[in-house]
Amino acid sequence: MRAIPLLTLLLSGWFALPAHADEAQDWLTRLGRAEQQQSFQGTFVYERNGNFSTHDIWHRVQDGQVRERLLQLDGSAQEVVRVDGRTQCVSGTLVAGLGNSRDAPSRALDPQKLTQFYELAVIGKSRVAGRNAVIVSITPRDQYRYGFELHLDRDTALPLKSLLLNDQGQLLERFQFTRLNTSVTPDDRDLQPTGDCTPIAVATDKAPEVQPTEEWHLEWLPPGFQLTNSSARKDTQTKATVDSRMYEDGLARFSVFLESISGAGVTETRTQLGPTVAVSRRLTTPKGDEMVTVVGEIPIGTAERVALSMRTADTPVKK
Amino acid sequence: MSRDALQESLSAVMDNEADELELRRVLNAFDDAETRDTWSRYQVARAVMHKDLLIPRLDIAAAVSAALADEAVPAKARGPWRSLGRLAVAASVTVAVLAGVRLYNQDEIAGAELAQQTQQPIMAGPQVKGPAVLAGYKESSDTTGPMANGVLQGQSGWQDQRLPGYLRQHAQESALKGTESALPYARAASLENR
Repeated sequence: MRAIPLLTLLLSGWFALPAHADEAQDWLTRLGRAEQQQSFQGTFVYERNGNFSTHDIWHRVQDGQVRERLLQLDGSAQEVVRVDGRTQCVSGTLVAGLGNSRDAPSRALDPQKLTQFYELAVIGKSRVAGRNAVIVSITPRDQYRYGFELHLDRDTALPLKSLLLNDQGQLLERFQFTRLNTSVTPDDRDLQPTGDCTPIAVATDKAPEVQPTEEWHLEWLPPGFQLTNSSARKDTQTKATVDSRMYEDGLARFSVFLESISGAGVTETRTQLGPTVAVSRRLTTPKGDEMVTVVGEIPIGTAERVALSMRTADTPVKK
Repeated sequence: MSRDALQESLSAVMDNEADELELRRVLNAFDDAETRDTWSRYQVARAVMHKDLLIPRLDIAAAVSAALADEAVPAKARGPWRSLGRLAVAASVTVAVLAGVRLYNQDEIAGAELAQQTQQPIMAGPQVKGPAVLAGYKESSDTTGPMANGVLQGQSGWQDQRLPGYLRQHAQESALKGTESALPYARAASLENR
């Protein structure tokens, strides 16, 4: 039965008139602005790989400042508080000695740029969390990335539901509001972190920035992906330096990690957890072995190709 | 012989562009587990170009060798005969590869994964008293479905220690950067729920 909605999706994608594409762009532009302009509070579910969790969100836009608090409602009480996109605190299990210092501002959603690599179309109407929604499909133009189906609130353009689909139309993850209130602005008490929320500055001190161990580059990147972040940190347990870089195409992201390894018993691996794939590959250089790991919300073939294209300064350049 | 030269030969064999020397070189190297793995990676990388992701399990060296043994080797062929001979080698290698590589598509992998998951003790009903689950509700069969297209290979040692950390760092850096929605945060939180 899954084939029928998929077929509809594909057909409407093909027959979509340019006007529809423009309409889709307008909706995404509205979406990009909505979170900077609209206060709301609500509850959403997230599902991937048979894992299902529920979360509360409070989002307040006041005097040009965006304050947001997220709290997981089942299992451990994971919590994040953000002000203007900068993380103020995270709860215990979420913290992982990662630096927030090279906080390159994330690029805002740019529908114009997205159209280079994705086909945008309004493909219908729906109803989510008791609200009327318009469905925007974001279909990749090549096989290097996944597609999205977004259900945007008709009144505010907030994303009520977001589905990530692979090239066979299989669902990889679901994000969906079950309740959304845009008429009440969250008050200070709602946005106040609990005592379990660790201020992020502490985490930054714990993991001082270190110099990247060596020069490396990727000989191949999927079209449209650009470097948005790079860091190096010393692992607290293994004392090994881990270089990492993050690449984005405006919608999808992946990270590349490089770590030198010693000794045998290290095997290459491929793992997929719902939307996220992890591919690691051993790279032999004159200085010793390195492990290249690609992690991201991209198809496994893309991750493989990225991992294969890793070249360090010590690797002889081909031809 | 350098690893890069070998990889190029491997790539050439995949594209049916290998000359005989390259083919021999690759065959000789097939005893090496690393080369076998590289081959399977090329297969995956190439399969994605053709939009049909297949995970090759490599058991072809023997088949290819057999195909070559049967081949009338055109030892010093000249002119048109040489390329004809090469063509024949390529053709029989292709057949051997097709015969030797067992192909799994993603659904089958998902199926296998599901089968494993159902065997997890948590799902076994009677002794679990805690969570109230409605009778007849089987978490593993329906909810996971196509979402559980996990492909797990060679999990041991290093991965157990490092991979969760990498997954977490990626998810959290996405979440920390994320201005677009709560989605990256939800992904990060979801990883902690495993």
